[in-house]
Amino acid sequence: MSATSEILPLDAPRLLTATPVLQMESVSRRFGDVVALEDVSATVYPGEVLGIMGESGSGKSTLLRLMNLEDSPDKGDYRLDIPGAAGNLFDLDRYGRRMLRARHIGIVYQNPHLGLLMRNSSSGNVAERLLIAGERRFSELRARAGDALAASEFPLERMDAPPIELSGGMQQRVQLAKAIALEPVLLLLDEPTTGLDVSVQALVLDTLKRLQRDRAITMVLVSHDLGVIRTMADRVMVMRRGRVVEEGLADQIFQDPQHEYTQALVHAKL
Amino acid sequence: MTALSELTRPWAAMSYGFLDASAKREMRRKMLKAIAVPGCQMVYASREVPMARGWGTGGLQVTLTLVNPASVVKVIDQGADDSVNAVSIRKFLARVSGARETWDTLEATILQSRHRIPEELMREDQILVLQVPNPEPLRPVEPNMSVAREMHADADYGRLWLILYEQMVRSGRIMQGAAYPSLVNGRHVITPSPIPRWDVPKLHMAHHLTFLSAGREKRIFAVPPFTSVEPLVFSDVPYKVEEHGDLTCHRSGVKGYFMNEIPQDDGSSAFELSDSNLGIKAIQARDGEPVKIGETWYNSGAMQ
Amino acid sequence: MAYVATRGGESAIVQSERLYRAGLGAIDADRVAEVGSALPWLVDRVMGEASLYEPESAALALAQTGGDLYETVLLLRAWRTTQPRLAIAEPVLQENLFTHRRISAAFKDIPGGQILGPTLDYSHRILATSVLEGNPFMPEPVAPADEPAPARQPSLAAWQKAQGLVADPPREEVAPKDIPDLTREALLFPAPRAHVLQSLARADTGGVLTLGYSAMRGYGNAHPTVNELRLAEAEVCVRHPRGTVFSAGRVKVSQAEVAAKEAEGIRLGFAATLGWNEIKVISAATLDLNAPGAAKGSPVEEEFVLYHTEPVEASGFCIHFKLPHYVTFQSSLDAIRNAKTKDAVPAKPTPTAAKTKTRELEKEPAE
Repeated sequence: MSATSEILPLDAPRLLTATPVLQMESVSRRFGDVVALEDVSATVYPGEVLGIMGESGSGKSTLLRLMNLEDSPDKGDYRLDIPGAAGNLFDLDRYGRRMLRARHIGIVYQNPHLGLLMRNSSSGNVAERLLIAGERRFSELRARAGDALAASEFPLERMDAPPIELSGGMQQRVQLAKAIALEPVLLLLDEPTTGLDVSVQALVLDTLKRLQRDRAITMVLVSHDLGVIRTMADRVMVMRRGRVVEEGLADQIFQDPQHEYTQALVHAKL
Repeated sequence: MTALSELTRPWAAMSYGFLDASAKREMRRKMLKAIAVPGCQMVYASREVPMARGWGTGGLQVTLTLVNPASVVKVIDQGADDSVNAVSIRKFLARVSGARETWDTLEATILQSRHRIPEELMREDQILVLQVPNPEPLRPVEPNMSVAREMHADADYGRLWLILYEQMVRSGRIMQGAAYPSLVNGRHVITPSPIPRWDVPKLHMAHHLTFLSAGREKRIFAVPPFTSVEPLVFSDVPYKVEEHGDLTCHRSGVKGYFMNEIPQDDGSSAFELSDSNLGIKAIQARDGEPVKIGETWYNSGAMQ
Repeated sequence: MAYVATRGGESAIVQSERLYRAGLGAIDADRVAEVGSALPWLVDRVMGEASLYEPESAALALAQTGGDLYETVLLLRAWRTTQPRLAIAEPVLQENLFTHRRISAAFKDIPGGQILGPTLDYSHRILATSVLEGNPFMPEPVAPADEPAPARQPSLAAWQKAQGLVADPPREEVAPKDIPDLTREALLFPAPRAHVLQSLARADTGGVLTLGYSAMRGYGNAHPTVNELRLAEAEVCVRHPRGTVFSAGRVKVSQAEVAAKEAEGIRLGFAATLGWNEIKVISAATLDLNAPGAAKGSPVEEEFVLYHTEPVEASGFCIHFKLPHYVTFQSSLDAIRNAKTKDAVPAKPTPTAAKTKTRELEKEPAE
């Protein structure tokens, strides 16, 4: 851990007494000669929102893809607090990763085409997750897909409309419903509101906050938008050129940034 | 000194059963593998045969490998023995193997079929060879065969179930007609070839061995005897076969089997047995001829 | 047996085949010889697609099918597959080819020279209607060159490799008998190099032209320049069990290398086939050039190209739709009627938008 760790424990007893949901240790990832991540570690505690911010190219999206087991690092260790998931998750084969992702991790992508079957029904997009998990009752699939869509504040009268006919904000709500349908251990959000109108963005963030409050879902949120991070995150990791330059409680990061890069970011000097 | 002619056999235009020994050896190996892993698609070279691809060349290669002079061969297309392509295949089989031809399900040792399973129960000593146009149940959700192979390896069938979900949402019922995707031995989803839904339950825990072979696509899979074959269904939406149980064949008067619908001039429909030889036997029995009709999978229109 | 009489399939198929063959008339050795001598380019095309170099059999197959090319190729393939593999020939090297024609579009002149050989490329395509008026078309005599072109020509790529313009891929040393044989095993992906080249060599000329042309027009990512096109004859050298290597005869071959300019240098696509068929090898080499890195499902991706240009499979599947499908149709009819008699009521809210025409959903598993 870097010099930031000594300022972590100040007023976070709830976080530190619990077993972390996610632990990533010393992860490095290169693409050819380009260093995407260098010796990055991260810990996420139950019920908290970890915000990861940085400019494009800082490695934050690479890190999120690793958390979703879509990619493998050159080195590093990754653990999730899931019954039966022992050892370094990066050692899992394709099938193991797929099953773990299907049952325990939800993700919302910035680009809904990555997360949704645009021409299937919205409810079907949610139901697919339940089908993979083995739900075989049609009535249950309808009910549970409806519940997840309702929790994402999606208008139920449109539950069978295909995402391609929906607005960007609605598409993100379908992704969100799909992500939370199985009550994941971890919800990953990759720039979930980037590209939406400001008013729509606020509504989607409201939904996320409500979900987080009501269901205590553990989230990792990646965004280049400081406003989004500030609204959502309990704790913040600041990344630059593949490294973590600062990490701390959100209030502390925004009010009293230690690293000069963070200071520049927060004071919008960049 | 030994003459060369004593060491060799005289020249012949083709091997017994048309396929040469190396082709048959490969077929035997792949057929055994297919039995060993029920429902798993095995890749084979699929030689060209003197018939166009898509016309039963996959089934033909299996039958040519199985056939011997003591075999009795029945070939049907859409249930009929005298359908043009069934005739063509049966004549070819007889010509290259010397096997006896039959129309009677009870007599046959090998039954090659396109799109139907006969109505009379098949026994342990019979083999059913189904011709398969497209062996890949995942094709509509994943046209790329390399990716589909991975999905089978992972038992990744969520997208297939999703098709059924969408049909329920859009139509209020499952719209899948023939070729109903089914789970074999609890592991691999297959297409049972485009047999009607009526015929799929006949594969479940059957006494006979079934090979399904796609010549053009070079894939073979099998349902061994006494193996489970379960159509993909929601547990609260029962599997439905075609509503043919109450239809009566206008030729034979027989009721309770899968029928062909024949549009009539007056706008109505008449029905005739799809299993044509069962129809013939029923007419013969009605006319007092001595004929043996076997037990059937369905009785009074219901699966037993 | 009234039931059967209405069908009458058995005699109908016998008569329909007779009708077809009656139109072709008697086929004798003279006709086969005439086909062979009058249509050498067609014989070549058929031999390539059949992957069987036997001009007499190819001419026979053309005569027997009246020139229906897909029937011709099927006939030859079905014959070929029953024949034993007696020996495996030594690899054919470019510099050993007896070369009739060899041109490059990449350079004005090349080591060994541009050799036009036989071609219609610069002819005016005027139908010789006078032939129909009773004046035979007599070809002009060919004037021999002052200096005959050397029978053997170096490979242009060898010169480019020496110049460092073309990367020399590492050679895989494989014993000839261990080279995977597409006619004895199925094509799987990613395909071994040998399978790719064999598959392109056997491919449907029209099929590779269509896909190759789409790549040339811009659906591919690399624009081809003909680096070297060659029509030649190759010695088929086989090893006698006693160890002597001898020539069992010559076969006509065509090959094309097409080049794309890239930052790192020149990248080549390659194809070769039995018989002389320039359109085919240029198109196939273009597809080979475009395949690396192509997206799954794109018209130049390896699996897409090789599966869809297989003439026997493609033509067979196309004509199989003439077979009766009434059982399948009956099965779907039942589902449609059943759905119509019921309201489509899902367990939860009304799907107002669910009636949208989303084509993908109309697909059914594996028909």
